[in-house]
Amino acid sequence: MSAPATLRPGILSGVRILDFTWKTVGPWAPRLLTHFGAEVIHVERVGSWDDHRYAAHPSPIIEGPQKEFSTGQGSGPLHGGGQADGKKPYYSTPYFTILHHGKLAISLNTRHPKGLALAKRLIGISDALVENFSGEVFPSWGLSWERIHEVNPRLVYMSTSGFGHSGPYKAYRSFGPTAAAQSGLSLTSGLPDMPPAGWGFSYMDVMGGWMGGLALIMGLLQARKTGQGFYVDYAVTEGAMSLLGTYMLDYQVNGRTTRRPGFPPGNRSVFPALAPHNTYRCSGKDRVGQDWWIFIACETPQQFESLARLMGQPELCSDPRFATNEARVANQDELDAVIGRWVRPRRRYDVMRRCQEAGIIAAVVQSAEDRVEHDPQLKHRDMHPVVHHPEIGDFEYEAYPVKLSRTPAFVHGRAPLLREHNRYVYGDLLGLSEEEMKSLEDEKVI
Amino acid sequence: MSGVYDGLTVVEVADRRNQWAGKLLADGGARVIQIEPPGGSPGRWCGPFVDDEVDPDRCLDYWWYNTGKQSVALDIGRKPAQDLLRRLLARADIFLESTPPGTLRSHRLDYGSVSSNRALIYTSLTDFGQDGPWRDYQMNDAAHLALGGHMGSTGYSDPSLTPIGGQGHQGWHMGCAFALHGITLALFDRMTTGEGQYVDVSIHDSCAIGTESAVPEWLYNGATLYRQTGMHASARRQPDLELPTADGMYVIAVNQTFGDQGWAKLIEWMEEKGVAGELADPKYRDEGVRTADYRQGTAVREGIRRLIAASKGEEVFTRAQSYGISWGLVRAPEENYDVPHYQQRDFWRTVEHPEIGRAIPYPRGPYMSDALGIGPRGRAPHLGEHTRQVLEGDLGLPAAQIAALAAAGVIR
Repeated sequence: MSAPATLRPGILSGVRILDFTWKTVGPWAPRLLTHFGAEVIHVERVGSWDDHRYAAHPSPIIEGPQKEFSTGQGSGPLHGGGQADGKKPYYSTPYFTILHHGKLAISLNTRHPKGLALAKRLIGISDALVENFSGEVFPSWGLSWERIHEVNPRLVYMSTSGFGHSGPYKAYRSFGPTAAAQSGLSLTSGLPDMPPAGWGFSYMDVMGGWMGGLALIMGLLQARKTGQGFYVDYAVTEGAMSLLGTYMLDYQVNGRTTRRPGFPPGNRSVFPALAPHNTYRCSGKDRVGQDWWIFIACETPQQFESLARLMGQPELCSDPRFATNEARVANQDELDAVIGRWVRPRRRYDVMRRCQEAGIIAAVVQSAEDRVEHDPQLKHRDMHPVVHHPEIGDFEYEAYPVKLSRTPAFVHGRAPLLREHNRYVYGDLLGLSEEEMKSLEDEKVI
Repeated sequence: MSGVYDGLTVVEVADRRNQWAGKLLADGGARVIQIEPPGGSPGRWCGPFVDDEVDPDRCLDYWWYNTGKQSVALDIGRKPAQDLLRRLLARADIFLESTPPGTLRSHRLDYGSVSSNRALIYTSLTDFGQDGPWRDYQMNDAAHLALGGHMGSTGYSDPSLTPIGGQGHQGWHMGCAFALHGITLALFDRMTTGEGQYVDVSIHDSCAIGTESAVPEWLYNGATLYRQTGMHASARRQPDLELPTADGMYVIAVNQTFGDQGWAKLIEWMEEKGVAGELADPKYRDEGVRTADYRQGTAVREGIRRLIAASKGEEVFTRAQSYGISWGLVRAPEENYDVPHYQQRDFWRTVEHPEIGRAIPYPRGPYMSDALGIGPRGRAPHLGEHTRQVLEGDLGLPAAQIAALAAAGVIR
């Protein structure tokens, strides 16, 4: 598939989004709208590129030589670019293809007066503008909200930043781990009386990006209803705190803090207190020597009876230590040891299947390999469709997880190559002539 | 306050999986009627409770996830209640449900049975969606974090320790985010077509695309990631970045850049604390030297560890940030109440709670935008608080019929 630079089908057909985002949390939001036909124009800086586009290392999986980039275009560590040594080759990277598939890509130098004029013209023909700079960047280009609103009163402008564009932290810098740490998300993940385990990936770049995508769709809906553009100041730390409301209320009402002995409880359940509810070590190890694990929980007396029978220990149900949920919670160290001994020599998917057949909650701790190669449910739901990319080849990537009956999501093609759509955007959309574009290139505006 | 979902009527079948999606619809101005079993939503029984006393009207988890909703208690296992629900759906804009696939078909409440309301957006948010080999498997939130891949990447650098799933219903949150995507897109489409549709959202599908680089690392590099304490799982083991402070907190000290200005400030700060050590050596003024050491050596990392160990958490955060270094302090959720930044951004919204005789500040929600108007608009309902109002006012049931249904245990 290619990334077509024409009107696309879908609910959002004819909607144009100007995407001034980099790295992870920003790009997710408009990407999600490409599945419904929105035309998303990803703007990269002239002479540079999005950090996620290229890496210094080739993929060992890809057959044949990858396209190498050695043009020395890099211009600094922020906003793309890696090293500017002019010698080192760069290789297309996979994460960019996931974050940007279905988009168009152009280059633009907004620090040049002519570039800024082009940005304003693009704002004039777009329905939404999304960026994830710190608060001072857009105004420093002369693009305050007031100015943007003046250029296009119907446009929805969303800034995505760690702390928002007002308040004492507005100039502070943030990415996924910062937002997870500051909000409290990191503290609520881990074993008791150990350092926080946090999140082993930027949860707030992923979930944060999805919440940003939601705000964009909401914004387009509201703007279509009212005919009026507006500003959405989306702060990812505030998004994260909005996932922690129960802890906030428990503190306000009961004075209970999350910084207390025994919390976080590992994989156990505190509210409600349930046992068993934990991870157990299975036989076997993954490719880097980490044990394989399975999560098992019983939320009803029937589930625990079934588990006891499955383990060949029906007497557990009449054992006063385990007969009721309350007793099991009080004795969960012992209970976990009993279950752990049963699981330890067993194969993880066998345990999952046998538990599930008996109606017990059981879930293998799956790796990416497990999900991509073996998970029959994701395969059935076609969650890893194959897309062709000229620099990378044919690869699966992660699809959109919502199935609408009448207006289904599409995969609109691979991620764009660097500057792939300059001609379409500047020529076809803005009506610049070949000579004008050539002269703008010479002046390093595009 | 106006909101993006103003004027819409939502019918939500009470379930712990979907209630955050319903909350954001209510917070955005929709009228959300939650259909609960007469014994109350499972969301009312999980705790924590006010003063730790079990009471379905005083469950704080329920309070948070059900702001501004209305509660109608109906036993939808029984035919008269099914008829009432069908009548409610005939006039609703959105139906949000999370029952096991097939359940509502046996009640004649599946999409085919109620889609004579052509404008209805019927949304099923379930563990695995409506089809597939694992469709009927039993799950809860932590199980989704296991199966979806989050636990596989999260935990400790010590390989003998278990993978970890974060607390707080994060798997369900991910499903709800996409349920709202589907609903809002369907609303956008409905503006021009007048037609609703069926929206099938799987929590497992949603979680499975949310593990950042884990899938591309596998696909393109054949890499399996190591779990690492408090930081990203990675194809190569890396030194700790979650570092203890002088006052018993932790800082996530991920460095993206070491520009000259920031570096000079950092060294000044280290010297002030008496921990600069060998980093005082002028050779580190060369960006190449210090960056190479940070990537492969120990001098810079050890210097940062000493600096953080000698400073209090709050100082580390604000001072690093003022130098353009994006370190984050691991705060407890509730510690954010005292941070002036969020107060100035009007993040805390007061909700009156006559049950306890006072108002409580709730988080606003993710977006600061008057036009979207997302924010809590009132407390969660008591069990069955709106049953009579809805049956009488919306469906025109006579009082005698309502009394008979109540006596038969069909409603509460």
